[in-house]
Amino acid sequence: MLEDKVLIWKFKSGSSDALCRIYEKYKKDLLRLAAVLSNNASDAEDIVHDVFVSFAQSAETLKLSGNLKSFLLTCVANRARNKNRANQCRQTAGPDEAQAVVSQSKTPEQWMIWSEELRRWSSTMAQLPYEQRETVILHLRAGMKFRQIAQLQGVSVNTIKGRYRYGLTKLRSILNGEMEK
Amino acid sequence: MKSAENIKKVIKNLDLEIDTNTQKDRIILSELLEAQEKSKKTNSAFAPPNIRRQIMKSPLTKIAIAAVVTIACVIGLSLWRMTGSGIALADVLARVEQVKAYSFKRTLHFWSEKVTGEDPNKPYIRGTFLISQEYGWKGKIERLDPNGGESTFNESCILPQKNTTIAISHKEKKYTRTQQDDGWIERVQKANIDITDPHTFLEQMLKTKYESLGRSTIDGIAVEGFRTTDPNSLLGTSSSNSGPSKRLDQKLWVDVKTRLPVRCDATWVDFDQMENKKKYDRHVLYDFQWDVPVAAADFEPGIPEGYASWVVKYPAHITEENAVQGLKVLVELLGKYPENIYHIVPENINDKTPIVLRLAEKSETPAALRLQEEIKGLADDEINNKLVDFLMPIRGLGRFYRWLQFDKKDPAYYGKTVTPKDADKVLMRWKVSDNEYRIIFGDLHAETVTADALAELEKLLPE
Repeated sequence: MLEDKVLIWKFKSGSSDALCRIYEKYKKDLLRLAAVLSNNASDAEDIVHDVFVSFAQSAETLKLSGNLKSFLLTCVANRARNKNRANQCRQTAGPDEAQAVVSQSKTPEQWMIWSEELRRWSSTMAQLPYEQRETVILHLRAGMKFRQIAQLQGVSVNTIKGRYRYGLTKLRSILNGEMEK
Repeated sequence: MKSAENIKKVIKNLDLEIDTNTQKDRIILSELLEAQEKSKKTNSAFAPPNIRRQIMKSPLTKIAIAAVVTIACVIGLSLWRMTGSGIALADVLARVEQVKAYSFKRTLHFWSEKVTGEDPNKPYIRGTFLISQEYGWKGKIERLDPNGGESTFNESCILPQKNTTIAISHKEKKYTRTQQDDGWIERVQKANIDITDPHTFLEQMLKTKYESLGRSTIDGIAVEGFRTTDPNSLLGTSSSNSGPSKRLDQKLWVDVKTRLPVRCDATWVDFDQMENKKKYDRHVLYDFQWDVPVAAADFEPGIPEGYASWVVKYPAHITEENAVQGLKVLVELLGKYPENIYHIVPENINDKTPIVLRLAEKSETPAALRLQEEIKGLADDEINNKLVDFLMPIRGLGRFYRWLQFDKKDPAYYGKTVTPKDADKVLMRWKVSDNEYRIIFGDLHAETVTADALAELEKLLPE
C-alpha cells in the first residue's frame, strides 16, 4: 500500500518507471480477473490492455487516494461488463457457450498464458449469470465489499447479497454435479 | 458434497496460476509508455500542472511527512533551548550521534473517517531496523494485507563499506544486489531519502517549535514528552508547502535518565475534499535499543538458498568519462541519442526491463541486432544478469546526470534534437564554476566555455 502510494505519486508526476512498475505489479491480477469474468482469452487481453492504456493516459486527471489495486480491478470489472453486454448484443449465446472457452494453443501473439486450473474455473464460473459471476468473483477473489460491488453495479447492497447467495448456490450445484459425474 | 462455506473457501484459496508472454509484455509496455508520453504532451498544451496542489495532494508527501513527523516530536525552538525539566532536544541529538549502533521498530497506519473496517490500531506496515555507524543499515519489513490475506516480507541492507545495497523479496524468492558508486551513500544521506535514520530527522526537527508535555511513564521508563503541531516545520521549508486542511499531532518521549528517544508517535490529518472525509496517517517508532552490540555479520543479508539473484552495477566512480562512454554505447545501440537519459535505465531496480532494451528491440543497428540475438528467448532475470556489464556505462550516464541535478550544477541534455553528426551543437552541459560550463557536443568531444558562450551555442539549438 505504501509502495502504491509512492507509485501513484510518481506516476502522476510523469514517471515512466512508475507506470512500468504498476504494470508489472498488477498485470497478472487484472488478467486473472478479466479471464474469469469474460471466459475468453482474447476478450480478457483486450480488457486489460484497454484499462492500462486508459490508465497510462490518465496521470493528469487521475484522482485516486484509495487502493490502487482495487481501482484497477474495478476498471477491469467495468470494462468486462461492457464487453459482455456488447457480446450479448452481437450473438445469442448457446447452451454450450460456457464450454467454448479459450483456444488451447499458444500463439506468438497471445499475451496471457492460462493454467489448466484457471481455464477450468473460468469455464465453471461462466455457467453463472454474468451479474452473479461478477459478484462472487469480486467479493471472494478481489476482496471487495458488498457495498463497493453495489456501487459498481449500480444496485442496492441487498441485491448484491442476493446475487452472491444465488451465485454460490448455483456454483455449489454445478460443482457437486461435476463431482458426481 | 461441497457446502457453501467450502465453496467460498475453495474460490478464495484457488491458486489460479497465470503467466504472460514476455515479448508481448514488452510491446504492450512500449505502447503504454507512448500513450503516457502523448498524454503528457497533450495535457501540457492546455494547462500547466499545479505543482503545489499536486504535491500537497500527493500520498508521497504524506508519507514523507509522516516519516518526518515521526521524529518531529523531538524538536525545539532553538538549538540550546531547554524545557522545564532541563532536557534539551539538541542534547538528545548529540547523544544519538554518540550511539554506535541502535535498533528500533516502526509501524505505519493509514485510516479514513467514515470507512468501516479500517482499524486505526492495526498497522499495514511494520518493521524492525538496525543502524550502525560502522557497518550500515538493515531493515526487515512486513507488509500486512488489509483484507486479512498473507503478509509479504522484505529485507534491505545498506553496506557502506562495500558500497552495496541488497534487497530481498521473500514473496518472489528473489534478491537484488546493487553495486553503488562511491558517492551514493553520501548523497543519499544528504538527501535524507531511502535511509530510515532518526538522527537525520532529529537534526531537521530541531528547527521547529515544540512544547513540553511533562513527565510520564512508558513501559516502566520515566520519560518526558514533547509535542509539536506546527505543520510548517515538517518539510523544513516555507509555509506554502502546508495546506490549511492539514493538521499534525507529533509527540516524542525521551528517557529522562539516558536522554535518548523512547517513543515517537505522530499523526498527520488531511481532509480529502474529493471524498469529503478526513484521512489519517500515523507513524510510530518505538522499542529503541541503544548501543546494542553489533558485528559485521549482523548486517549481512540472510539470503535463503535457491533465491534468484538480480545484479545491478554502477561504475565505481561517476565521472564525465563514464557519461561519454554511456552516450557512445547508446548511439551504437540506437543509432541516435535517446530523448531522455534520466529514465533510460531506471534507478528503480524493480523495473524488470530497462527502457534502453525496449528501444534496442526497435533498433536495427548492428549493435542492436547483436544484442537482440544475445537475449533472444531469455527471461527478464536472465537478460538483466547477462547484461550487467553492458548496462553499467549507461547506468553510469544516468547517475552522472542525477548527481549533477543533485549537486545543483544546472545540467541540461538535448538528445531529442542533437545527433552524433552535430559536432558544434550542445548535447549536454553543466556548470563547473560561477561563470563556466562544461559541454559535451553531439560528436562527444567536450569543452569548457563561459556562460555567455554557452548561451550563444544554445541559441543555435532547434526548438
